[in-house]
Amino acid sequence: MRTKWKRTLLTAVAGSLVVSLAACSEEGGDAGSGVNLDGKKTASMADYKAGTQFKATEPLDVSLLFLDQSHYPMKEDWLLWKEISQRTNITVKPTVVPYSDYDQKRGLLISSGDAPTIISKTYPGQEEPFVSSGAILPVSDYVDLMPNFKDKVEKWKLQPELNTLRQEDGKFYVLPGLHEKVQQDYTLAFRTDELQRLDLQAPKNWDEVYTVLKAIKAAHPDVYPLSDRFEGKSILNIAAQTFGAQAGWGYVKNSIWNEDKQQFEFAGATPEYKQLIEFFGKLVKEGLMDPESFTQKDDAAIQKFASGKSFAISSNAQNIINDYRPNVSKIPGATVAKIPVPAGPKGDVLRGSRLENGLMVSAKLAQSDKFVATMQFIDWLWYADEAQEFTKWGVKGTTYDKDASGKRTLKPEVAFGGMNVGAPKNLQRDFGFQGGVFSYGGPTELVQSMFTEEELAFQKTLANKKQLPLAPPAPLNEEERERAGLWETPLKDLVTQSTLQFILGQRDLSTWDAYVKELEAKGMNDYIELVNTAHKRYKEKNG
Amino acid sequence: MVTTDPTRVMERLDKPAGPRRTSLDDSPGYRVFRVVNTIVLLGVVAVTLYPFVNIVAQSFSSEVYIRTGQVNLVPRGFNLDTYKLVASDPAFWNSYLNTVVYTVTATAISIVLTTIYAYVLSKHRLKGRGLLVGIAVFTMFFNGGLIPNYVLVNGLGLTNTIWAIVLPNAISVFNLLVMKAFFESLPSELEEAAAIDGLNTYGILLRIVLPLSKAVLATMILFYAVANWNSWFQAFLYLDRADLFPVTVYLRNMIAGATSATSVGAVEANAVAISANIKAVTMVLTVLPIVAVYPFIQRYFVSGVMLGAVKQ
Repeated sequence: MRTKWKRTLLTAVAGSLVVSLAACSEEGGDAGSGVNLDGKKTASMADYKAGTQFKATEPLDVSLLFLDQSHYPMKEDWLLWKEISQRTNITVKPTVVPYSDYDQKRGLLISSGDAPTIISKTYPGQEEPFVSSGAILPVSDYVDLMPNFKDKVEKWKLQPELNTLRQEDGKFYVLPGLHEKVQQDYTLAFRTDELQRLDLQAPKNWDEVYTVLKAIKAAHPDVYPLSDRFEGKSILNIAAQTFGAQAGWGYVKNSIWNEDKQQFEFAGATPEYKQLIEFFGKLVKEGLMDPESFTQKDDAAIQKFASGKSFAISSNAQNIINDYRPNVSKIPGATVAKIPVPAGPKGDVLRGSRLENGLMVSAKLAQSDKFVATMQFIDWLWYADEAQEFTKWGVKGTTYDKDASGKRTLKPEVAFGGMNVGAPKNLQRDFGFQGGVFSYGGPTELVQSMFTEEELAFQKTLANKKQLPLAPPAPLNEEERERAGLWETPLKDLVTQSTLQFILGQRDLSTWDAYVKELEAKGMNDYIELVNTAHKRYKEKNG
Repeated sequence: MVTTDPTRVMERLDKPAGPRRTSLDDSPGYRVFRVVNTIVLLGVVAVTLYPFVNIVAQSFSSEVYIRTGQVNLVPRGFNLDTYKLVASDPAFWNSYLNTVVYTVTATAISIVLTTIYAYVLSKHRLKGRGLLVGIAVFTMFFNGGLIPNYVLVNGLGLTNTIWAIVLPNAISVFNLLVMKAFFESLPSELEEAAAIDGLNTYGILLRIVLPLSKAVLATMILFYAVANWNSWFQAFLYLDRADLFPVTVYLRNMIAGATSATSVGAVEANAVAISANIKAVTMVLTVLPIVAVYPFIQRYFVSGVMLGAVKQ
């Protein structure tokens, strides 16, 4: 009897909630109007705004899903934890999950209704499976509680990028990491001593990459000058943006936005994609690129590079320091460096989003009396300038010093990366700072504050590049997502498989039209129509 | 016509029989088979041992030689520094200790429960025996699934305790059936005699049946201990604190974590790959106890599984 009554009440409450939420989305804003915060302000600060130090008015515990990295395993006595509680009056209770299987455990905890309040380390897109379950808070409704977040979005004009996160209901469910500028870490690395010996310049565009590889091949006819790692996905990714295509790591969805036609197209069938494949097919055919580049393990590629069996390989800043320099050191006089990201047929352009991985919030929090305080805490720890400096560099005077010009230096007894090598303590391992859960994004000045001179120079070359426009949102509703899901994977598999066959020369490019027919048979046109319909609907609804 | 001597006839009849039997062993075909067999089996041994020896060699080598692919069977740049480094990590020893505790406890619990269950099932006079067997076998084919299991274990308050590791799946149905078959093969006269001499059911089990079952017990201990030592999934699911993790989770995070950090791409700009030699040392140290124990239990192994496989 009682439970029946309870259920009726619950339905009524849920119903009214839907109505009020619908009313909210009709206003189309993130205003959070219609959200009743009465009784949820325990321990919160009444006058909290951007630039204020957040401190809960009474001590609170907040649970956090914590991704544990094996090279800096979580320790309970980290200065990081102590400082967070001291500054904010909030004690973080971490649920430690090993990096290796983080996604699985996150899914399990959310599905079992047992997720911690803050679910960290979530990449935009990873929240989608949980949206319909209602277990994740639609954070866009509550950004008013987060002045630092709002401030950065406004200051850095991030609203268009944020819009890409919106789901079919017009809300977004993940709080992303925010960057002031687009970062790109991956490019090609060359054996610079060999370039010098052959009197070659570092290539500035993909045509020059071709000629440089050709020159190296002429000097070493028995090797493949380029033997790549990452299964070729990195090089395809960085090349694709300058060809006006998407490939490799960038091939997340089958659709690509055509700015001229103002509509989505099938990414694996555009003329630009064909051009890209042609280019790499040429590299392989002329023996400039190792055909194993697309299948070999990273270690095998590194081995070839380190033993002088190849002269170019994909790289990020860390790969240079950890994988290449120490290992090529056995070859006398060998030097390695990243080249600026090459330009391509579409010019010196860069595609990228300024959003990074971020966090989700458990929907249960909205029912808690600590709701406001916790949201303020999240806003401060992840989005306030001061906190971003704190989670990256640690505590001023303890782990680092800052001079009058604002330049930060680690204390001599604290080591990190290439700084203070051999010092007894490590910023990550012994203090917990610079960890992936807390420290990402932020102002360019801060992001680059730990870069080496070499990396800073590399980042400068990116500054002159033209930024490509972002694809507008085209969120699918649940039924559409299911239909799209049936097409997505088979289409993607066919594209990946055929791309490899074309590049390796196992399939002739003259069969391109037949390939497009195969895609059509797998539902390419229906799929693209679905995406375009969703885009139009979103545009009508949200402008 | 010469009359034949019966004995010689016998001899003649006998003779072909003798050599023919031995010729089966010595026939060219069989000799070829033996040579081929030996070569194939040696090949299998090489294929099985090579990765292991390679890892051991890597664990004594320096990083540069491993990364340039120069370490095969013999360590290059021999050093013990990596062992010292891994041994100086308290987190490693802590998880190692956890593994020992979990393995010993879980194996003890499993052996007790499996023995009791199997012994009961081996008695044909037991009413509802078919149902009890059915319940056990049912779980081989159907289970609640990941999330319901998690909700159950969490609801029982077992998460973040050793019990979440040692209680679920304490009885392996396969092992249960092997043991049941073994108990069934014991002559019932033995137990009847013991009963006449005044032993009750427990006395019979403890003083007559178990002492006769050393072979199968050793096998079960081996099965359970190896499975528990190697298992990581339960621990990964039900434990949220790093100080409770067994060494398998530690190892998996080190290997899978490091490789996915470099292969997923822009996941973590500051991700540092764990050196190949540290991985190798951790693997060697993790597998060492099982490798050391195996030869001593292994002699029970064959007889233990075979016993009860055929009923007299």
